[in-house]
Amino acid sequence: MSDDETAKADGGTASQSEAIEDGRDEEHPLEWDEPENNDKAPDERDSVSHRAEKYDDRKLVTGQAKYTADYEERYPNLAYAAVVRSEIPHGRVTDIDTSAAEAMDGVDAVLTPESDAVPNTKYTSAGQSYPEPSPWDMQVLNEHVRYIGDPIAAVAAEDRATATDAVEAIKVSYEEYDYVTDPEAAFDEDAPQLFEGGEVENEIVGHDYDRNRMSHIGGELGDVDSALGGEAHVHESEWETIRQSHANVEKHTSLAYTNEDDRHVLITSTQVPNHTRRQLAHLFDIPIRDIRVQKPRVGGGFGGKQAMVVEPIPLALSLATDRPVLYEASREEEFYAMRSRHPMTVKAKTAVTDDGDIEAIDLYALSNTGAYGSHGMTVAGNVGSKPMPLYSKVPNARFEADIVHTNTPQTGAMRGYGAPQGTLALEGHLDEVARDLGLDPIEFRRRHHMEVGDLDEIAGMMGGEGANRRIRSCGLDECIERGKAAIGYDDLEQPEEDHLHRGIGMALSAQGTGVAGDELGAAQIMMNEDGSFHLQVGGVDIGTGADTAFLQIAAEVLGCDESDIVVKSSDTDVTPFDYGAYASSTTYISGMAVKKAAEDAKARILDWGSKLLEEPVEELETGDGTVYSEASGKSVTLEDIGYEAAYGDDEREHILGKGTHCTEESPPPFAAQFADVTVDETTGEFDVHKLVVAVDCGVAINPGMAEGQIEGANHMSYEMAVSDGITLDDEGRAEVTDFDEYGLPSATETPPIESILVETHEPTGPFGAKSVAEVPTNTVPPALSNAVRDAVGVRIREMPITAEKIESKLDEREA
Amino acid sequence: MPKTGGNSVDIELTINGERATVEAGSADDLATVLRQHGYIGVKCGCDGGTCGASKVFVDGEVVMACGMAAEDADGSEIQTVAALGTQDDLHPVQQAFVDNFAVQCGFCIPGMVIQAVALLDSNPDPTEQEVREALDDNVCRCTGYQKPVEAVLDAAERIQGAQSVAADGGQSVSAPLRGSESTGCCGGGCDE
Repeated sequence: MSDDETAKADGGTASQSEAIEDGRDEEHPLEWDEPENNDKAPDERDSVSHRAEKYDDRKLVTGQAKYTADYEERYPNLAYAAVVRSEIPHGRVTDIDTSAAEAMDGVDAVLTPESDAVPNTKYTSAGQSYPEPSPWDMQVLNEHVRYIGDPIAAVAAEDRATATDAVEAIKVSYEEYDYVTDPEAAFDEDAPQLFEGGEVENEIVGHDYDRNRMSHIGGELGDVDSALGGEAHVHESEWETIRQSHANVEKHTSLAYTNEDDRHVLITSTQVPNHTRRQLAHLFDIPIRDIRVQKPRVGGGFGGKQAMVVEPIPLALSLATDRPVLYEASREEEFYAMRSRHPMTVKAKTAVTDDGDIEAIDLYALSNTGAYGSHGMTVAGNVGSKPMPLYSKVPNARFEADIVHTNTPQTGAMRGYGAPQGTLALEGHLDEVARDLGLDPIEFRRRHHMEVGDLDEIAGMMGGEGANRRIRSCGLDECIERGKAAIGYDDLEQPEEDHLHRGIGMALSAQGTGVAGDELGAAQIMMNEDGSFHLQVGGVDIGTGADTAFLQIAAEVLGCDESDIVVKSSDTDVTPFDYGAYASSTTYISGMAVKKAAEDAKARILDWGSKLLEEPVEELETGDGTVYSEASGKSVTLEDIGYEAAYGDDEREHILGKGTHCTEESPPPFAAQFADVTVDETTGEFDVHKLVVAVDCGVAINPGMAEGQIEGANHMSYEMAVSDGITLDDEGRAEVTDFDEYGLPSATETPPIESILVETHEPTGPFGAKSVAEVPTNTVPPALSNAVRDAVGVRIREMPITAEKIESKLDEREA
Repeated sequence: MPKTGGNSVDIELTINGERATVEAGSADDLATVLRQHGYIGVKCGCDGGTCGASKVFVDGEVVMACGMAAEDADGSEIQTVAALGTQDDLHPVQQAFVDNFAVQCGFCIPGMVIQAVALLDSNPDPTEQEVREALDDNVCRCTGYQKPVEAVLDAAERIQGAQSVAADGGQSVSAPLRGSESTGCCGGGCDE
């Protein structure tokens, strides 16, 4: 055992015995009362962890799948919406001249903030649980405009071209106010103020609207100031992240109409059908039961559709015109008027002894939430609460954040949800500390990183002690080992040219699996008489493959083929309740609900099997589409059971299974990221040869889909490291209007990405699964910054990493 | 009624082998007209010629249909992704996308499949770099391009394998390849 390993083993033991001493183990036991059937060895799994064909793939590759806009042919009377948006960063609308637009042929309605159909209720677009942890600071149409893009008026017309023409014909007059686009400047006492006191409802902790502060949050473990004032070395660094666009290829699209039963139907591209229904009910004062939200195929969300971004517009227009109305945002609107990742400055401070023991970690984030506060506080919280638990053995820890309004486009949820910003700061910072101390950055992390048995108290630091998490699965060591091997860490060859230098950077990451203690998923399984099933599930497949994972989980329990089950998700009239697709919750929360529903149905199936086979239930099992007894060799098909249950002579039953799942647990998945880069020291130009990311997501329900999630997340992460994102001019106007101008790395600009699945078993998840889709979003910016540092010795802390910045740092060093 | 922009004209198209006279507004692009006639595999992810989701074959050339005026397609033969294979009998490129988990949300996939078919028709044995170059103007947000690139390379092998079987007197390749190399931009509707 090496010294490092000894240190770690001691640390683990100390941490656990400490926990036992103060009684926390009772509340957060290491042991988990896991059902026996949940932990299956690989060779016992019939459906789970197989590369089952994605349920909707054949429709998708032949162009037959229907997304929201593809429903237009169903509605011959359909009208098309377009929106008038603010052209100034801050001010008050003094007049809206709609006469020319209203006089145009083919224009059905023009709505302004004054119109009857337009609610003036305050709300947040953030699609979160209730009570909503985002402030109600928005209105559907606005007189007080706070950024270039704020909606002012909306039009419905016979066709798209007329709707666009009508928007152009509407003349808006403004009284212009001073504006502020820089978050630090917005914080000044004499900065222009976006909100008046009392104007915002559902205000969030730590708000101070006189200083444009939407929220302030923080928490501390131990005594950070004492540790920073002690004998250990104090290291400080500051990091900056970009304003990233979700760039979902399907734009925000929503179709609204009132049906023959006077009920309001939305076919909409959303991650959160149930939250959207509740939010629309609040906004329009319509009972929840009279709103139906249907999610067809969705062309990507990434958090951008964890929000009711566009739905109120077509609903208001359809109420005003008594016609179905389709609103499809333009690509330009996607960049300036939908949502983006919060750009942040994150300061990292640590106290580290000469021996390389971390005594304290202190993070501070300044988050620019833009004009409105959707997801502002919760995203900022994750800057600390996701990466800091990686180093749960560190005795003193603190995190604070200020979330500040500026007259810039709206931000919101985005894959990673604050973790990318915090991970850049922490993993870049610790890499630098290790190099300062002459330690191998990987070994330095190994000495401190989280492991099985640890108690994550960072979660509790931010959310109260009840939120602490016991770690029951952690594959970090294997992630590091396999990642190192795949990138060739130990035998890196330097280029022959003297001016070229090759380096490898590494970064670790942890995420959550659902919002701890704040999730609910539900599912129902109905058996047909031919032995097939209908699975109705609230969990939302937005292109992730969730429907397929649900089928695999159900098939594993029921002992049938995935193709014997028809999955329906999501339609709020039909599918059970679910919080929606966010926080890496779907497989874990909704998937467990599916598992419970399948088990509920299976119990009834076995009961019927017992009757038909005249064998005790305890002797029976399901498999290969039958109920069988291994002892007697007897079996009966699910079809025979289905017909007997539906049409039998003496007793009948519709075999139904129900499952609902919520939990206080949110086990972190883990990732070890590696980047291999060659830098030209004469120009700063760099070439990323390869990205390797090894991920512990527990048991991957479908390894092919899990790899796809990892690679896609890593591409998004790579973009944060090398692209400008949505750049703004001095007035806060988005300078990006289409994909040509937005720096999404193309196929040739993206390095090969090698994804590695490291299997652990998470006892709290369905068949051992935890989440996968977010954690690899967090890691490329620090890994690439660390790789450049490894190659040429300079450090880039402000994203994106560019040749110019590297060259300038190299020049500084020369001078 | 179709939703058209501007004054309407009738244009003659052959779409996936079917001759059709379609009404098109003077302001309408080809993607809008095709979608109005039920060809929903023609996707619109941008507002003209920057995402590649609307790629179709027009007289054998890859074109972003959203960047081409519908009137300019008058008299053309058009193939959308729906012409390549059916759900029960996928084109080898479509099958390779399925088998390699190259599809997530699927919105960009029709354009990628069209482009991949065009590539393999002109270059049956491409390198990874050549595949990446071919897909360079197809925007995909879900996959990081890793699995689509692997799928195209796999499709190349499948097609070559099937063709060598055919040459040996075995079964013929399941679907003919259409089209040729992409024109590189929208095929006439943009400034590039």
